[in-house]
Amino acid sequence: MSIEAEIREMVSEITEVPVEKLTPEADFFKDLNVDSLKAIEIVAAFEKKFRIIVPENDIPKIRNISQIVEYTKNIKKD
Amino acid sequence: MNKRRIVITGIGVIAPNGIGKERYWHALKEGRSGIKPVKRFDTGKFKCKLAGEIDDFKPAIFLGQKGLRDIERSSRLLCSAAKLAIDDAGLKINDDNTDDIGVCTGTTLSSLWNFAQFDKEAIQDGPLFTNVALFPGTVMNAASSQVSIRFNIQGFNTTIATGYSSSIDALKYAIDFIMRGRIKAVLVGGVESLSLANYTGFYRLGFFAGINGEEVSCPFDKRRNGIVLGEGSGVIVIEDEEHAQARGARIYAEVNGIGNCFDAYKMGKYEPEANGLKESMKKAISNSGLNISDIDYVSASANSVPMQDKLETVALKDVFGRYAYNMPVSSIKSMTGETFSAGGILQVAAAVGSTVYGFIPPTINYKERDDDCDLDYVANRSRTVRVNNVLINNFGPGGSNSSFIISKYH
Repeated sequence: MSIEAEIREMVSEITEVPVEKLTPEADFFKDLNVDSLKAIEIVAAFEKKFRIIVPENDIPKIRNISQIVEYTKNIKKD
Repeated sequence: MNKRRIVITGIGVIAPNGIGKERYWHALKEGRSGIKPVKRFDTGKFKCKLAGEIDDFKPAIFLGQKGLRDIERSSRLLCSAAKLAIDDAGLKINDDNTDDIGVCTGTTLSSLWNFAQFDKEAIQDGPLFTNVALFPGTVMNAASSQVSIRFNIQGFNTTIATGYSSSIDALKYAIDFIMRGRIKAVLVGGVESLSLANYTGFYRLGFFAGINGEEVSCPFDKRRNGIVLGEGSGVIVIEDEEHAQARGARIYAEVNGIGNCFDAYKMGKYEPEANGLKESMKKAISNSGLNISDIDYVSASANSVPMQDKLETVALKDVFGRYAYNMPVSSIKSMTGETFSAGGILQVAAAVGSTVYGFIPPTINYKERDDDCDLDYVANRSRTVRVNNVLINNFGPGGSNSSFIISKYH
């Protein structure tokens, strides 16, 4: 499974939005009705999956799936 | 001063031997047990294999699928019972009346699973990789709060954690609220769920039947040697009689006397004279204005622990004198197991069934008479009889004692 597909599945489970409706650009807060607790849960699940700690300052930058995927690529480069 | 009357208008039950009030009442009448081998976790390492597990519970039926993943089993059980009770009472909750309705729940161990899971992840994966979604559910008032959130109930929300007597203590708290005119209606609940954590705890304390004897819940029987753990939830809607009448609600029964008392004795030990239980019963009876001979039946707290059932018998004889020998006493825990903080509300729900359908549920699994327990325990078969007043007892080695009288509504 591609990284993007894995992330989509993870976000789908947390937000209870079906995978097919999760477009890469859908904004977690505006489009997917994600509240602050769910946002933390998404970040935490992502951190766990990739065994990284996302710095506080980076969290606001992650607002949709494509941004998570992008973030992952940068980590891999590092 | 005119005493305010408080009535029961809705019942929701999720019990090991029946989901929904009608199935539950039917099971009790038939003497059908919900105790069976545990499916939820592996009991291979334990000597004991049984529990009052609710294995056919599908919360989505009551609550829908959305949002279920965010709430753990105890909240699912309690919210489902609340939904049944609200619907049963025909209670419409909206912005105009939400401040007149409260929620009060008895529970003590219901958040233990979340707590244990959170801790386990912190240890296994490292503290920075724990599932943060588990954390809100680690508080004891999680389940009760979920009821208010889900059904938009804003009057008040309280959790009472007094172990075995939690549900009846929650009921007392709610009654006091209504008596003081501070609220019109309250969803009073009780919940505990079965988990490896609480199973292990009671097992390691040596509390289970089957460690030193037959693995069976047989209250008052000579073979009794401990509890079979159960899980369950119940919610009843209680309201000011005038409020219930004004909205044309069907009234099941009347909340009558209630009393509680704490044995400040020793940690985890029964007070050897059962003085607290005697006091609770006396308070409840005097509070109700009934005579002892008006009590048609006692729903016992007896849970198959040798000392508990003996002490309840002693206390009943002290309070009721010779009349104790004419009074049926039975324990539904023979069929549900010991559901701890949910026990009281399951007894209340059962007692409503007794007044509505005119029967006394049996103490099942009764075979061998014990000289220390020599009352009429309605052995093995339910009894068809008119039931006007039921006395419900809750107590345990934790020191808390509560008694409550439910009466047929006239």
